[in-house]
Amino acid sequence: MADQARERRSTRRRGEHVVSRKHPFGRLVRRIPLLVWLVLVWLLLWGTYDPGTVFFGVLVGVLVIASFPAPPIATDIRLRPLRLVQLMISLAWDLVVSTARVSWHAVVQGPRARAAIVSVTLVTDSDHLMAMVANAVSLAPGNFVLQLDRGNRICYVYALGCHADPSARVRGEVLAWERRVVRAVGTAEQVRMVERGYRGEVD
Amino acid sequence: MNWLNLFSAVCLLGGAASCLFGAIGLLTFPDVAARLQAATKPQTLGLILVLIGSAVRLDFRDASGLILVGLFQALTAPVLAQLVGRAAYRTGSVREETLDTDDLAKRIERERDRTL
Repeated sequence: MADQARERRSTRRRGEHVVSRKHPFGRLVRRIPLLVWLVLVWLLLWGTYDPGTVFFGVLVGVLVIASFPAPPIATDIRLRPLRLVQLMISLAWDLVVSTARVSWHAVVQGPRARAAIVSVTLVTDSDHLMAMVANAVSLAPGNFVLQLDRGNRICYVYALGCHADPSARVRGEVLAWERRVVRAVGTAEQVRMVERGYRGEVD
Repeated sequence: MNWLNLFSAVCLLGGAASCLFGAIGLLTFPDVAARLQAATKPQTLGLILVLIGSAVRLDFRDASGLILVGLFQALTAPVLAQLVGRAAYRTGSVREETLDTDDLAKRIERERDRTL
């Protein structure tokens, strides 16, 4: 199973490489977002926003990209700004609520705290979405992804805090994060997949 | 300006309280994985609150670097948690008696049975 998935991924990667070799300009264009990001970080670090700083930012950015070439990554990510803001607000809110919850556990339960390791199978099948879901789950206190099985789309999530049915609760939470992430950056097809899974859960 | 000071004070104190609870959790929780929750995560919120609290008192020019601090903290804390947590699990530092269910152990057992 895992071998098959690895094989599938490696053929896909080979395909990407061929595509990028055919279109050298496409490869350059794909680097532009990274360059913009590097210049932005440079500007924030300096705290000055004049043409000179931008010029040297671009220079350093090009140097960094040229000296540390990263493999070209084809993403099927569609950005939806409004949903992305919603995702960030949920992350911030979850951070506050979970911090309060874990603080409460620390003071009240302490050494008697219970935990669970739950396997959750994600609905979508994408490297980037899985990484983002894992990061979203792990950001707030209480839960974190202990182990990933990329081939079978399984996250093993460690969850702190005692509950009557930890498996169902953790599964629901992780799938809710997947829904939010996919709505923010997934393709239309992936959004349909998670919405279908959501409706199936309700019924 | 008074309201700004008040907001700043609330953020700074909230951040400090969050870090304090993290420290309490570090002392009281039973094993590495649970302590990890207390040690790394409340600090994320605590740090971000402290950053907001100090940023509103500064010029944007001086505060812009703080955005990066908060951003990289939010990006790197989950990675750290995953790495340390996995290492703890593999070295047996997660105490089994505190776990209600352990799907990963079941999976490892299944795979072991299959290879034997």
